[in-house]
Amino acid sequence: MTVTVGSSAPRGDGDAKVRGAAVFGVDFALPGMLHARLLRSSVPAGRIVSIDVAAAAALPGVHAVVTGADVPNARTGIVLFDMPLFATDYVAYEGEPLAAVVAATPEAAAAALAAIRVEIEAHEPVATLEDAVADGARLVHPGWADFETAGGQDWPRAGNVLSEMVADPGDVDDAFDEADLVVTDTYQAPRQYQAYLEPKMAVAAHESGRYTIHVSHQYPFNVRDRVAQTLGVAPSAVRVVGHHIGGGFGAKLDIGLEAYAAVLAERTGRPVKLVNSREEDLLTAPCRENATVHIRSAVRADGTILARDVEVTFDSGAYAIDAPYLTSIPMFIFGSVYRVGTARVIARAVYTNTAPTGAFRGVSGTYLVFALERHMDHIARELGVDRRDYRLGRLMRDGDAMLNGQVLDDASILAAAFDAVEARAPWATLGKGPNQGVGMAAAVWLTNPQPGQATVKLNEDGTLGVVTSATENGSGAVAMGVRQVAAEGLGLPADRVVVTMPDTDATGYDAGSQGSRTTHVVGRAVFDATAKVRELVVRTAAGMLEAAEEDLVVEGGRVFLAGDDSSFVTLADVATTATRSDGPIAVSGSYKTPAPAFNPTCATGMLFPIWPTPTYHVHVAEVEVDPVTGRVTVLRYLVAQEVGKAINPDGVIGQIQGGVTQGLGYALWERLDLDGGRYVQRSLETYGLPLAVDVPDIEVMLLEHPAAAGPYGAKGVAEPPIVPVAAAVANAVADAVGAPIDSLPIIPEVVLDALGG
Amino acid sequence: MTVPVTLHVNDVAHRLHVDGGETLLHTLRERLGLTGAKEGCVEGECGACTVLVDGSPADSCILATAAVDGRRIRTVEGLAAGPALSPLQQAFVDFGAVQCGFCTPGFLMTLSALLDEVAAPSPVEIREALAGNVCRCTGYRQILDAVAAVAGDRRR
Repeated sequence: MTVTVGSSAPRGDGDAKVRGAAVFGVDFALPGMLHARLLRSSVPAGRIVSIDVAAAAALPGVHAVVTGADVPNARTGIVLFDMPLFATDYVAYEGEPLAAVVAATPEAAAAALAAIRVEIEAHEPVATLEDAVADGARLVHPGWADFETAGGQDWPRAGNVLSEMVADPGDVDDAFDEADLVVTDTYQAPRQYQAYLEPKMAVAAHESGRYTIHVSHQYPFNVRDRVAQTLGVAPSAVRVVGHHIGGGFGAKLDIGLEAYAAVLAERTGRPVKLVNSREEDLLTAPCRENATVHIRSAVRADGTILARDVEVTFDSGAYAIDAPYLTSIPMFIFGSVYRVGTARVIARAVYTNTAPTGAFRGVSGTYLVFALERHMDHIARELGVDRRDYRLGRLMRDGDAMLNGQVLDDASILAAAFDAVEARAPWATLGKGPNQGVGMAAAVWLTNPQPGQATVKLNEDGTLGVVTSATENGSGAVAMGVRQVAAEGLGLPADRVVVTMPDTDATGYDAGSQGSRTTHVVGRAVFDATAKVRELVVRTAAGMLEAAEEDLVVEGGRVFLAGDDSSFVTLADVATTATRSDGPIAVSGSYKTPAPAFNPTCATGMLFPIWPTPTYHVHVAEVEVDPVTGRVTVLRYLVAQEVGKAINPDGVIGQIQGGVTQGLGYALWERLDLDGGRYVQRSLETYGLPLAVDVPDIEVMLLEHPAAAGPYGAKGVAEPPIVPVAAAVANAVADAVGAPIDSLPIIPEVVLDALGG
Repeated sequence: MTVPVTLHVNDVAHRLHVDGGETLLHTLRERLGLTGAKEGCVEGECGACTVLVDGSPADSCILATAAVDGRRIRTVEGLAAGPALSPLQQAFVDFGAVQCGFCTPGFLMTLSALLDEVAAPSPVEIREALAGNVCRCTGYRQILDAVAAVAGDRRR
């Protein structure tokens, strides 16, 4: 029986957050701190003729003005080293930094910014995917063939295509020749802004030749490594200290403002704070990528999908960031959930003169599943069969392999998830009213496998300390997940555990809050460490109680004889005794998910070849459209999600409700249009975030199939609930209006167009 | 040009000289050290900066401090009575209404004002009261559950 795992214990940071006492990055300050601002390009493309900072530097209160001429300005990156700190020769997107000012006050910094004189000879931007791949297209980065890459690896790239992944097993065209039916579709997806409420920030200090950078960042060790790379120093010369994070959703995984603050702190000898305005933040986030998906399926009369032929092109914007990894994601979408005979998948990331795109919860999956599931509806309609029945007949089963050759041992959970939704809301009963429709979508999503580390110590008062750089981005993965895993290991309530904030000087590596990895990976490291702490506790207590170790129970802050709890010692006694005899009880744990077997020759240019610790998801949406206004109302929304083990059920449900809500925003309301390489919507007012009045009740059914490797069986939870939402909603709207919905967001104009009005 | 103002913030009087354009949010955060109210957008759109002015919610990021001379200001730091959280704060903790927590102070102020005005607001009243507060994390359900629990306790 568990003490705290499986209970909805309050999160560890809840009290500080409701009091307004939690110090977020933007709240953090150091004595003597100066204030910085970035001058950003107002045009999306052009040649930089001159940047004159003399007048700005002479203004009162201005400590320094810095451009690319003043710093090591090497191009750096995660995979492809294409991004300089400051643009020097040419501008590649609107919002690209040209110069930085640092002054005694934010007002003085703003005045200095306005005094910098910039002359740019504007170019016609490479504004769209079509522009980028057109014959004779201007290269966004003229010299990019020579850019370096991480580890010297390379992959197919040419023109403005910065990364191409190709899987072509060779039998696809034959399968199309044999098909009774070929179904062809094209889908378009827009950008989406993460819209975390805390803008990006950094506070940097430079002392004794080292940089200390205070952040509210999802991935402090990546900040360490990327700042070191940018400044040309050793990673050990950079210390990154984490504070409370006001949301991130993927946008706070690569570096943002940290290297600028570090440069300015070194230059002035003073701590420096740099915070994005909301407009700067929106313009440079990096948002979810816009994309076009072409998909064809070769179908037999009985519904068997003989083959698929898929081509995905997405917009990386002016820089690569993680795009060379994202071209792998289609391989995990178009050959999973539903059985296919064979598939050709081509995915391209393309440079344009637009703001760089990057990670957003459910990376690429949101629009890939939208394309796949709209297409599945289309096939069912062509065959004249029920859309749910058609899907059930195609579901992957235990032992089926995905397109990368990786076998899903537990794929039959998909069928269980369809059943769970059906039991709550029978398909045949939904979407039957006037102007109503119903749609469904399913997905297999991963748990990010990257490494984590934690040290668990028994404090002398009998509480547990967990020292880790795992980041609490709000999801509860640390404040609930990791904390409850530690507590459970010693039979304690969760409130007897304190978890540190990240500090790259103090802990082993952690790969950040991404891909739902924290509870699974760091939780496992904590689980292992806590088990060893428990062994030391029992050994010490056995000596104190003069009892055999195997007769002892550890629970409720005490160690006692099984069946006789009158004879006990407290954990405080044990910790104190151990500290004075063998030394303090503290044990470290490390974990990285082992790579599943896969076929390394399944594709070329596939930099992210595995889909570890998969979870299974089925979503159903019931909607009603207003035929006059075109407005879509979501009447019911149901989720069956497989989570391994819900460490904190309320926390898991909160992640699903929040993820679905972001998905509804993507599907219906959030607008981030590009015009001539520039964003049209430039504030939260025009962007259209979901409000409390917009969101339906989201009915959640948790399926638990514990993962052997996870702490108490936990798998990743928080990322995937956004993935199937646009697909389910679009299918429901298409059902309601009786016409295809092939682009997002499904704003009223789209609905009215579909209705033929 | 500065003007003298007196602010009564969480029952403490402060006499200050402020620029005419200084916002209440700036005064609270930078001068009085009350960083609970957050700056999310500086356009009165996200509600993270919400404080109460004479009991009514206001976006402090677009409100001039000079305009609230002599008024009573309550911030999130003024909700709890020492170690005891207010019933609404406690419900936020208990119902999972807090995720990243950046919007939380604004939600608490808006909803505290609602609960001061309407003893037991209906679900529709609660949702409509939140028209000026954005939460990007929760999907709102657990926030609504927290308010409903407080309202329900009052009905008993």
